[in-house]
Amino acid sequence: MRRVNRLRDAGLLTALLIMLAAPCPARAQATAPAEDLVGALAGLETAPDIDIAAICQQALERPKSKATAQPVNRPPLVPELLKLPQANFDVLFDPDSSIIRPGSYRTLGRIADTLTDPALLPYRFLIVGHTESGGRRDHNLIVSQRRADAIRDVLVTTFKVSPKRLKAIGLGEEQLLDAAHPTAPVNQQVQVVTVGKVL
Amino acid sequence: MDLTLRLHALRALLLALLLAAPALASAQTMNFEEAAAILGASCGKDLDDNCRGVNLDPTRLKDCILRNQDVVSAQCKADYPRVFSAVQQRAAARAGVFKVCERDAAKLCGGAQKADMLQCLASAKRGVSIQCSKTIADAGYR
Repeated sequence: MRRVNRLRDAGLLTALLIMLAAPCPARAQATAPAEDLVGALAGLETAPDIDIAAICQQALERPKSKATAQPVNRPPLVPELLKLPQANFDVLFDPDSSIIRPGSYRTLGRIADTLTDPALLPYRFLIVGHTESGGRRDHNLIVSQRRADAIRDVLVTTFKVSPKRLKAIGLGEEQLLDAAHPTAPVNQQVQVVTVGKVL
Repeated sequence: MDLTLRLHALRALLLALLLAAPALASAQTMNFEEAAAILGASCGKDLDDNCRGVNLDPTRLKDCILRNQDVVSAQCKADYPRVFSAVQQRAAARAGVFKVCERDAAKLCGGAQKADMLQCLASAKRGVSIQCSKTIADAGYR
């Protein structure tokens, strides 16, 4: 009996705490995951040496080699990116284009909220575009670059994120997010990677 | 009798204002995600039908919606101006807060930088200029 009472008291206490902590529950729900994103992107210890021009060159060269013809035989092109703070986002585009679907505007807003959070203001980011495997690899590189550029442009022009804080790169299908399932839609996700501090 | 009616009308008006106040307040502090979600939901079909090939850019989207205002849905017409103004207000405040609050920060927050400086200014009880205080609120940093 006492146990039941205690449980009930605990339940009441929790309810009370929730009410006190969240005067406006809708907003709390909306901000909670955003805080997770800020946490995922913060805390870069040492800035890596990432040469974007060199990566682009490698990405253009690699499809010419037979060794990486099969997606399963394709190691990540830029393994150093994997070690950095990052978050992945589903952004949908019109087919074979860099026009963002209206259904994904919310996600763009969310990325903008995250990158302009006070805790992340000291950092610079790389927007990394990807495609799933299929079609011409060199074409996929171009499409993913245009898409990453489009996201960067929206963040800069619409949400006024400082252009000094953002660079964009497309890796096509050269750094598959799910290498075991090269044609899975998850491979189209856009990555935001923390790459350094604002100078 | 006439007076009672007038009092009733006044009461109804006050009630309406009270009910509307939270909605107005939330519109002012709408974050980017909420604003962009409303745009996508209210105008998505209109943009698909009339503005294919235009990306999420306030100037170009507004131009396209205006060009097609005869066919754009009432919901989209009602929502897009407040969405863009909320985004514009927050974006300008976030981009400009350090400049606007430069003097306040030097006076009140020593050498604090970025997040620490914003926290210092947002929590300062007095001494923050009206303009800086408003910019911090517009940015949603308080």
